[in-house]
Amino acid sequence: MRNKTTSLQYIMIYLILIMFSVVALYPVLRVVTISLRPGNNLLNESLRIIPEDATFDNFIKLFQEKPFLLWLRNSLLVTSIVTILGVVLASTAGYAFSRYSFPGRKAGLMSLLVTQMFPATMLLLPLYIMIAKLHLVNSMLGLVIMYSATALPFCIWMMKGYYDTIPFSLEESARVDGAGRFRSFVTIMLPLAAPALVITALFSFMTAWNEYIVAAQVMLDENLFTLPVGLKSLQGNMSTEWGMYAAGSLVVSIPVIILFLSLSKWLVSGLTLGSVKG
Amino acid sequence: MLNKKVVILLFLLLLALNVLLAEKPVEISLWHQMEPSKEPLLKELIAEFEKENPEYKVNALHKGTEELRTGFQTVAAFTNTAPELVYGPSDNLGAFEVMKLSDNQTASIIASLEDVFSEEFLDKFMEQAKFRYQGHIYMIADRLGNHLSLCCNMRLFREVGLDRPPKTMSELIEYGQKLTRDLDGDGTIDQWGFVWNYKEPFWYVPFFGGYGGEVFNENAEPQLDSQAAIDAFQLIIDMRNKYKIIPEECDYDIADNKFKQGRAAMLVNGDWSWNDYIKSDKVDFQLAVLPIIDKTGEYCKPFISATGYSLSSRATGEKLAGAKKLLMFLTSETAQRRFAVQHKSFPSLKTLQSDPIFTEDEVLQISARQIEVGVPMPVIPEMRAAWDAMRPALQNVVAGVMTPAEGAKYQQELTQEKIRSMYEDAGLIETKGQKVMRSVLYLLGIALGIYLCYIFIFKFLKELLGNRNSLVTHNNRFAVLMVMPAALLLFGVVLYPFFYNIVISFSNMSMTNIHSWRIIGIGQYIKVLSEAIFYSTLWKTLVWTIVNVFFHVVGGVFLALLLNRKLPGKPLFRVLLILPWAVPQYIVALTWRGMFMQDSGAINLLLSSIGIDSINWLSDPTLAFIACIITNIWLGIPFMMMIALGGLQSIPHELYEAARIDGAGRWEQLKRITIPMLKPVMVPAITLGIVWTFNNLNVMWLITNGGEPADSTHILVTYVYRAAFNLYRYGYAAAFSMIIFIILAIFSITFMNRSRISEKT
Repeated sequence: MRNKTTSLQYIMIYLILIMFSVVALYPVLRVVTISLRPGNNLLNESLRIIPEDATFDNFIKLFQEKPFLLWLRNSLLVTSIVTILGVVLASTAGYAFSRYSFPGRKAGLMSLLVTQMFPATMLLLPLYIMIAKLHLVNSMLGLVIMYSATALPFCIWMMKGYYDTIPFSLEESARVDGAGRFRSFVTIMLPLAAPALVITALFSFMTAWNEYIVAAQVMLDENLFTLPVGLKSLQGNMSTEWGMYAAGSLVVSIPVIILFLSLSKWLVSGLTLGSVKG
Repeated sequence: MLNKKVVILLFLLLLALNVLLAEKPVEISLWHQMEPSKEPLLKELIAEFEKENPEYKVNALHKGTEELRTGFQTVAAFTNTAPELVYGPSDNLGAFEVMKLSDNQTASIIASLEDVFSEEFLDKFMEQAKFRYQGHIYMIADRLGNHLSLCCNMRLFREVGLDRPPKTMSELIEYGQKLTRDLDGDGTIDQWGFVWNYKEPFWYVPFFGGYGGEVFNENAEPQLDSQAAIDAFQLIIDMRNKYKIIPEECDYDIADNKFKQGRAAMLVNGDWSWNDYIKSDKVDFQLAVLPIIDKTGEYCKPFISATGYSLSSRATGEKLAGAKKLLMFLTSETAQRRFAVQHKSFPSLKTLQSDPIFTEDEVLQISARQIEVGVPMPVIPEMRAAWDAMRPALQNVVAGVMTPAEGAKYQQELTQEKIRSMYEDAGLIETKGQKVMRSVLYLLGIALGIYLCYIFIFKFLKELLGNRNSLVTHNNRFAVLMVMPAALLLFGVVLYPFFYNIVISFSNMSMTNIHSWRIIGIGQYIKVLSEAIFYSTLWKTLVWTIVNVFFHVVGGVFLALLLNRKLPGKPLFRVLLILPWAVPQYIVALTWRGMFMQDSGAINLLLSSIGIDSINWLSDPTLAFIACIITNIWLGIPFMMMIALGGLQSIPHELYEAARIDGAGRWEQLKRITIPMLKPVMVPAITLGIVWTFNNLNVMWLITNGGEPADSTHILVTYVYRAAFNLYRYGYAAAFSMIIFIILAIFSITFMNRSRISEKT
């Protein structure tokens, strides 16, 4: 099917991939180093990845001294709802934008972009006021709404762009077979758009997973903190618990990696149905 | 019979209500900024308080410096959800006091404590612990200090035959020269005599004071262009260039680290850090008062401040009573004693000053002497302007860009300018021309509103409710139903903040008139656009955006193309390559900052191994900018790679096959099939990538530590954050963001139209 890749090319590809992976990995390994260091050092003159006096103390302290599991639960709860909401709303809205022409379509697409253009830090003041007036303080719902709204514009554009690449003929034949509008969307389009759904899900997840500025305004009870807010609380004015901070950051990235690993199966299989269309 | 039942029922209901009410304790919120290491003790004390007073429940919340200050200001000024108690440094007080509760401009967001507490209670505290501003007490400190002192590692002293800390500056320099050593004889210094965070003005103040300088006179006018300022600058430069006792590059983390590792003999640092050093096994810790400046015979004069409790003016009734009780408990003798013993903090109660826990502790005694010779840090809001002006001046002098005399002049003028801009916003009134402009703006606003209503009512709703039999409208109805949920959610969240900002951008809102601001027309816009720095920063922002997005896209697509084939080990590479996206940005950005450090950073070590001299990345404006770009490229590639990987799946293999039959080479295939087919997916990602990069505050801020060196590495968002938000220029900041917004809108709409993506289908 593909262009033949010769073994020399394979070697080249591997070399390049290894090089990029090393560059991607090295700074992360530095975080690992900080997390294994005893005491409280962000910097060190040694370049060793595993420090001589390596210890897991910081990880243990994280779970013992801080309600880390509780934060993890809160984060997982908020993030999974945002992910589901993001995928559902973006896949439907993106479909409408891709397939139908309706009044306000172009303006709608543009205004999605427009919402992203305002510097977010400048919106904090009115956002604070809004959160307080709507009684969304300490509410998971408040966070879910904020995060979904942040993630949606990109997700809708992403879905729309992907639907655009799928030929009309596929749905048309389904419609001819008597399937309803919504049915043909669910049974034909969604499976075809699997790679885009994966990206939408991952993006929604990441938006909610790492955010702390809004969360720090909404959640004013330590037991309701999400992970990033909890991590931020390890930071002092002058002295920060760097070891614990690094350990926490690593723990925080594990769910992302798991999610990515489990989703990437769908990212590849993608348009296997592409050959059906003939 | 029936009546009886009703009565019993009512009675039971009342009883239940009573129980419910009784079991629901009054909640008291406390926002604090306690160092993480001290938090456990605070929690312990709060638990004891709750046990003693079961009618109260305390909700203590840690907030960072900025979040505490701006967060409290906003919630207290605009809403009813403010915490009853705030615990933070005394320098917030001025900025709290000027913020008023409402239009009438009298009551501040924090309560004056002499109205709330008895004289007898207030009398128990030392005078320095009661923080006054404009004649009222606004804060009671539970500890004094936050001051710098000289930390010595006596182990290193003894190695060169010294047995006590230096007393004068000349002695310090002499000791420093002995203590600066090349231990392994390789020609580079391994152990420094003296280190401190010499990029921050807080560490410059003690020397400046020692030479006789004062930051503000009693009329709150800055006094920074003086001989003292020049002498203090000269001293720092001499220590580095002439006496060579301090390293070429030093910030807080480097200094702290070198001292902790036993690679620096003397360090200037504050009382929050000492406990860490006492515990370190590489340090034989000895605290000393900062030395006497020989020229004046005066001690170095660090700023003395304090951290303590303030009461929100919004607290009333039971909550106020509870908050008072809590404040009294947390500043009580037992609480202060425990903090003093466990954390070496300096108690503020008169009775504890002669207590053995205090008089017999050597560190606390030296700390007390240091407090005696220091000067209280001004609580006036103008101090924020002074910090923001002294910082670039100091960094410029240290970098050799300015002479000490130029630096002194610069910091004075910059402080005056910043103070002026803090206050003049409120005084902005509209001119006649602006009045006309304002009417035009109003008209435009109304017209836009009418147009939106028209669209919504006549077009949108008509589609939704329209004739079901018509095929065309039926189609639209389905589409509108599909879009509606997302649209409602999105605009519900975005609309209010967005319009709020538009309104504020036409106003003179600032620190002193948060409630009584007025619409003044386009004055703020004119101000932004008439500043030269806006254009140079805009230019830098464009370079930043274009370079970043270019490498994100090229790198991402390139890697995706490599991965988009049968390849053993592919899942492993995929995971490795998205790691930069998976790990929280904050920590990796700081790791990169560490990698760019001059003498210990991985990047310079790598460069030197291929024969390139080490580069001082973070001290040169251009190099620091490049460092930020490198970091951000690293952070952004995985995202684009993901999008491209997804996009590549939609290209049918048959297309390539057909192209090959036509004799197209690889390059030809890439150009004619891959790139055009990727476009629908990539263009939105690139457009949003441009927007996000343009507005990316984090990376720039973290790598350059807020614009270092000397506020020269800024893009528009970091500039407006620093210039406007530090000084509470809300109107100015809103106008600035509107301009950013308009630039971006033009930029990205042009880009979208060029790539013809929205026209598709």
